[in-house]
Amino acid sequence: MLKLDRKDDTHPIADAQLAAGGGRIVELAGDADWRDARAEIAGAVRVDIRFPIFNDGRGFTLATQLRQRAGYAGKLRAVGDLIPDQAQHLMRVGFDDVDPDRKGQDADWARARTRFAHAYQPGQGNVTPLFRHRHNRQDRDLAALNARYRDQTPQDILRDAIENEWIGKIAIMSSFGAEAAVGLHMISQIDPATPVIFLDTGRLFAQTEQYQRQLTLELGLTNIRLLTPDAEAAAEEDSDNRLWRRDPDACCSLRKVRPLDDIIGDYDALITGRKRFHGGGRMALPVVERINGRIRVNPLASWDAAAIEDYFQRFDLPRHPLTDMGYASIGCWTCTAPVQGDGDIRSGRWLGQDKTECGIHTPAPIADEQVAAE
Amino acid sequence: MYTYDTYDHAMLADRIAEFRDQVERRLDGRLTEDQFKPLRLMNGVYLQLHAYMLRVAIPYGTMNSAQMRTLAGIARDYDRGYGHFTTRQNLQYNWPALVDIPDILDRLAAVEMHAIQTSGNCIRNVTADPFAGAAADELEDGRPWAEIVRQWSSFHPEFTFLPRKFKIAVNGATADRAGIRVHDIGLQVVKNDAGETGFEVWVGGGQGRTPRLGQLIKPFLAPEDLLSYLTACLRVYNQHGRRDNLYKARIKILVEALGAEEYGRQVEDEWAAIREGELKLPVEEIARIRAFFGKPQSPTPAPVPVTENSAFARWLDRNRRDHSVEGLSSLVISLKPIGGTPGDITDAQMDAVADLAERHAFDEIRATPDQNLILPHVRNDALEAVWTGLVDAGLAIANAGLATDIVACPGLDYCNLANARSIPIAQAISNLLDETGLSEKAGDVTIKIDGCINACGHHHVAHIGVLGVDKRGEEFYQITLGGAFGVDAAIGSIIGKGLAGEDVPAAIARTLETYLDIRAGNERFIDTLRRVGPDAFKEAIYAEA
Repeated sequence: MLKLDRKDDTHPIADAQLAAGGGRIVELAGDADWRDARAEIAGAVRVDIRFPIFNDGRGFTLATQLRQRAGYAGKLRAVGDLIPDQAQHLMRVGFDDVDPDRKGQDADWARARTRFAHAYQPGQGNVTPLFRHRHNRQDRDLAALNARYRDQTPQDILRDAIENEWIGKIAIMSSFGAEAAVGLHMISQIDPATPVIFLDTGRLFAQTEQYQRQLTLELGLTNIRLLTPDAEAAAEEDSDNRLWRRDPDACCSLRKVRPLDDIIGDYDALITGRKRFHGGGRMALPVVERINGRIRVNPLASWDAAAIEDYFQRFDLPRHPLTDMGYASIGCWTCTAPVQGDGDIRSGRWLGQDKTECGIHTPAPIADEQVAAE
Repeated sequence: MYTYDTYDHAMLADRIAEFRDQVERRLDGRLTEDQFKPLRLMNGVYLQLHAYMLRVAIPYGTMNSAQMRTLAGIARDYDRGYGHFTTRQNLQYNWPALVDIPDILDRLAAVEMHAIQTSGNCIRNVTADPFAGAAADELEDGRPWAEIVRQWSSFHPEFTFLPRKFKIAVNGATADRAGIRVHDIGLQVVKNDAGETGFEVWVGGGQGRTPRLGQLIKPFLAPEDLLSYLTACLRVYNQHGRRDNLYKARIKILVEALGAEEYGRQVEDEWAAIREGELKLPVEEIARIRAFFGKPQSPTPAPVPVTENSAFARWLDRNRRDHSVEGLSSLVISLKPIGGTPGDITDAQMDAVADLAERHAFDEIRATPDQNLILPHVRNDALEAVWTGLVDAGLAIANAGLATDIVACPGLDYCNLANARSIPIAQAISNLLDETGLSEKAGDVTIKIDGCINACGHHHVAHIGVLGVDKRGEEFYQITLGGAFGVDAAIGSIIGKGLAGEDVPAAIARTLETYLDIRAGNERFIDTLRRVGPDAFKEAIYAEA
């Protein structure tokens, strides 16, 4: 028996009952009429549909009708002469698992059931057909997405975001700072060609630049997108290289916010490494949010310092050279200091000012309607 | 024309990865030949008499120049320098090696093409009027609907293992150039009194062993219900179509057994349960797809040139069609050179057509059910340049719609289903009708030839049909008369016993001579035939046989 659904167990009570020797299993032939079958399957703990030969497709329609018309919500199993190439068909018409005559092909079945990331048709198990999905993207119900991601690991969230939700239209932002290796390592395991947006402000520590090269090489990242401030604007607005002192917000705007704004239209969603334990405004950080009409995915939102540390150790990831010197959050050298005493992790950023964020993850001053609506 | 988005590209990439995996599993024995066969067929790979054949889908017959050049490149690099256009607007390669096929599929995918569901017991490539978007008699371009159906039918979880193949055609004009009555489902675009678009749904048509004309089961289907209604149609067929007899498995047999009315009632029952569900098409998606199918403009319309050059004039007269936009014309590129193989085209000719389309025809090319090509949108002031280009490529054949514009299946020269040869018969007929001048004199006549009863060459719906049969190891050819493909669709009647292959060309020549003798005024062949009945030609056909 092979599970078709990606969830662990869809019918735990039915399974327990069957394991204890109780409950009734009904087997139907593929050509059974769903109307006639209704009485027979009432009260069944599991319904099996038999495929006499793999290319007799009647069982696919019968399963659909049991789910859609007879309202059968219990466990549904496909049995008989089935081949791995039918895994997704079976899953999408409503089967929970399959017991094929030919055994020993579990790996082929496992690969086949995730073969297609999308579907042109609706199906069982929350499959959104592309003709609908294409138009949902801007109005996607973030609450539903957050609910779905609530209990998932950051790796699962990233995989879904990159391979399913925002395929080809998603990038990760990285400062190549103290914790950056975690998210970047996860990305490298899913798709090392995912664009990595790196804001080179012209004010970065030399150690950050070294670290960026080291991590890129070691993790095999193949798509670093380096953004630099507009040279003309920099010459005009920061001719004396003192803008960071006179007006740090203007400096962040010149060196981070505007360069990002210039390319943000290339992506529907950006992945960030922000976490709730960073404190301040990040304490209520959702996994998925919309900022100025663009999606931010924060897969590590719920991770704390210990989880980060565990991950570094587990995968033996290289550390940013400045972490040994007490820097817990690392931005530009002009505005970053080591954390003092037991201050929170970002307390060394813009030390002595009210400023806590550079502005790339904060809504524009005039909140747009979409943000307000959420 | 339609352009893939990220999702379409991802689906195609996933499909190719799946096929590579299937080939690998076949080679190491994890898949048996019986299991592999339907899977390769659903990727367009046939095993023919001498080699594998790959059938490439050209959805609703529409291509651009980049796609045509890719088809040419594949013919050059993986085949013997030519391809073959079929009666279902597809292209076949007759000599690819199995190991090359995944690479060929990659090359096709790069220009948004594929071979998906061009064979097998699934929903096949959707076809449409080859003049869609250009024809002067069009209500609405049917191709957006064909594209919507193409996507819905691709990798369908419920309808991939049907009793038998399933073909859908869409027609948006008053004339029916898609053949909706000889398809499993034919969709005819109509407008209601309020001017809204809808569809007539015709079901149960088909050719082959048991030719049947489709019947109307739904006079007006609202567009947003298209997919739910098609789902209901397929669901009834998948559950109740016969699986005990290959020859009785098509939907036409089910519709005939139940009666169209009862079949329609069962569809309505299924449809009522799903109509308001997830299959309802969002208006945004309809709008998105429609936006890909614009009509070209002609800001400074020129008239069709009047020419002293008789060859150009003759070609314009036979191969040019009126366009819905003033100043534009559609052109038929005949793939029926006298004595040639119907539908064959060389790689160099494909490149030449691509160049002409790119330069003069808004980058669009169509494949037709008559095994020809069309440049649907050509400015009248470019007609001469296109003709000159076609002359250079050996493609300015002025016989579109004439008796030498013969349709023929590949027959026993290639196909392992065939009982008899069809290409040599087509060539002999073409030579004789040209030599005698009968092709020119007889005007509009359709001749279609099949090498077996499966009727890929559509002989049932030809004015003059030729069907090859095998009798104790000898090839014989039955002649049918009076078939038609279109609004007046009809199945031809068998005239009598079969003829030997060498007698067929003369029998057809005598048939056309008889028509010229007995026609009333400028009456077309088919009209004379309908007036006098097929028996009036019996003597001509069997005169010396």
